[in-house]
Formats: sequence, C-alpha cells, structure tokens
Amino acid sequence: MMPTSMLARASLLACCVAVCCPVAAAPPSLEGFWAVKFERSRSGQALVDELPKGAVLINDTGAKELAAGDFGGLRLKPRAAEQVRNYDPAQELKRENTCVAPTVAFYMQAPFPMEVYQGRDLIVLKMEYFDMYRVIFLDGRSHPPAEAPHSKSGHSIGHWDGDTLVVDTTLISAGTFMNNGFDSSEAMHLTERFRLSPDGSTLWLTQLYDDPDTFDGLAARYMAFTRKPGEYVYPYECDPSYGN
Amino acid sequence: MTGRLGLYWLDGESDPRTMAMYSNTSTIGSRTRLVVTAILLVLASAEAAAHHSFAVHFVADKIVGVTGVVTEFSFRNPHGVITLKVEGKDGAAQQWKAETNSPNILRRRGWTEASIKPGDRIKVEGYPSRDGSNYLRLYRVIFADGRELVGQRPDPTAPSGAD
Repeated sequence: MMPTSMLARASLLACCVAVCCPVAAAPPSLEGFWAVKFERSRSGQALVDELPKGAVLINDTGAKELAAGDFGGLRLKPRAAEQVRNYDPAQELKRENTCVAPTVAFYMQAPFPMEVYQGRDLIVLKMEYFDMYRVIFLDGRSHPPAEAPHSKSGHSIGHWDGDTLVVDTTLISAGTFMNNGFDSSEAMHLTERFRLSPDGSTLWLTQLYDDPDTFDGLAARYMAFTRKPGEYVYPYECDPSYGN
Repeated sequence: MTGRLGLYWLDGESDPRTMAMYSNTSTIGSRTRLVVTAILLVLASAEAAAHHSFAVHFVADKIVGVTGVVTEFSFRNPHGVITLKVEGKDGAAQQWKAETNSPNILRRRGWTEASIKPGDRIKVEGYPSRDGSNYLRLYRVIFADGRELVGQRPDPTAPSGAD
C-alpha cells in the first residue's frame, strides 16, 4: 500500500505533467458513412468564412450544375477559354467517354455518398461515384516531385489543425471541373478543410482550388454531408454501353 | 420564363415532337394540374445529378410527358434507360428513351432492375432533350394502375430530394 505522502506527491506530479506537458487531444472521428446533405442554407458557414478573401465560391455542389457558358464568375485563362469554345456536349455521350471518371476537383461535390476510414497516420475515403478512392497521408511525408504520375485522386497529405482536418493535394490529372466543358489542368493545387458539426452529425468541407493555368485567382466549393450509420457505399460499376 | 421551374403540358405547342407527345399524353385533371404547377413554381430551378451535364443536355424548366409500351429497361450506372414504343399522332410507331438519374440513387428509394418490365404501358414525364430528339431525363414514371416511381425530382434541395 502506497503511503499517503507518496500518494500526494504522485498526484502533484501528475497534475504538473498535465499542466506543463498537455497531451494533444485526440482528433475527432470522421469514420462512417456520409451522404450528401442538401441544404437550403449553409450550416457550415463558419468554414466558408475561413476561405481566403477573394476566392470565388462556385455554387454548383450537390445536385446543382452550371449551364454551358456559365463558369461561376471565374475569369478563364486563354487555354481554358479556348477549350470551352470547342466544347461539344455530344462527345460526352459517346461510348468511349461515358465512363471517364472526373477528378477529385469535381467528384467530391457529386451527389453520391462516401465511407471514411480513419487511422492515426492514414485516412481513406471510399467514394461511391465511379468507385473512386482517396488516400490521405497524415504521417508527415511530403508530396512526390512534380514529375511523378498524376491521377484522378492525386496525392494527398493532411494534418489536424485543432478540430479541422486540412488536406493538401497535388498531382491531380486534368479533368472535369464544372461538367460544362470547363476542365482543370495538371497544375491544380487543392486545399481542403474538413470539420465536424458540434453534434457530430454533419461533416462540412471546403475545397480551395488554385489552378493558374486555368483561371485567375482562387476558386472554392462548400459541401456538407450527413452521417448515416449502418449504410454502405454501393458499387458504381459504370457501364459504357449507355453511350452511343 | 424567368428561370423558375414551370410545368409545361403539351397542348398549345406547335413543335411536331411535342405534338406527337401530346397525342399520347394522358389527360390530367385541371385541379391536379394547378396544384402540381403551383408546387413546382415555388421550388428552385431544376438541378441535376449527372455524370454528363444535365444542364447542358436537358431543359431544366420544362416537363413533358409521353405514354407508350416499354420495350427495354436498362438499370446500370451512369444512367438507367427506359425505351418506349410510342404511337405517333399519324399512327406510326416512334421510339422514345427516358434516362434516369443514377441507379445507385434510385436503389436507395426502392427501385430495382424489375421495377419496370418490357410490355408495361407507362407514362414517363421528364425534362426534354435540348437537341429535340425523342429523349428525356426522367422525372417520374406513372403506371396504368396509378403507381408512381420518382426519378429526378424538380427540386433536389428539398428534404427528400436527394438526387
């Protein structure tokens, strides 16, 4: 049995350690099934307010889309302007194009759910849309060099900024940015902030896009997801025979 | 139109395509028409879920209807497709297609591969193709017995409108 004096000293030591060397709080758990939340007003406006001043917020998330010729207020660079001038919607319906997956700069806002698996050093997002996956490294590594292969999901590294997961993604393939002929380039740099609502039922996300080859300044999107325990992502298994 | 969603029934339009649809469109009661129109007018503009662009390919603020017999029903991503044999105004057979939003989304609402069968006589309502072809994006299917299957709702921001 520990003497009373020794017990008191041990308690005092424990208090000092707690005060002088606070242990980092565990990050919030984003694990689970998340479905797109259709909001009439932004429940995560605080996250939007943290976007850099001047970033153009694109209002085409969830089930919304911008019409041909509407680029959400962005000023297109010559390369992108030329691309949208040559846009032929009929090509989207060709069999060879029907199942071309979009990139992370578009697929996160699609109206499909995702499953999140969270570890200390790694987070995996299993997307329903086009059966895409994302791997987010939290182990302190850097991005591969710029000449490394680009992909639809790119290369993502993240860290916790308090209760907010900050994810930096590069090496993203060129691809759909607005689903109206406006594509992003391989120079796209994506910064995301994920945050849970206080009650844990909603996951808010902002994506901030910097693509100097494609548009002036910065662009952003806001998304919200609702937690639905017990549900699963379905296989997408895109069938190109839909095309003509 | 001001960009808000309107419900256009097919009478009064001179386009041969829509006239053909009119000849096969079942009559809807004026009260029901009024109620549906009123509901749709207060909703936000039609917005879509599509791997290809809905806004580019379909007219979001117009809904048309066509009645025919199902010849084929494909229920695979990215879009299901209902193929219909429709009798035109001149008596000649026409083929119409109505594409659905993603079958994954519809499965969560109870749709299956067997929801629609060849031989079913149905009315499809949806958003017409911009190119004037016999093609539309499905809003809903109405069966002969009055049952309905809803595809892409006019307002996906509504609480139950998770398209």
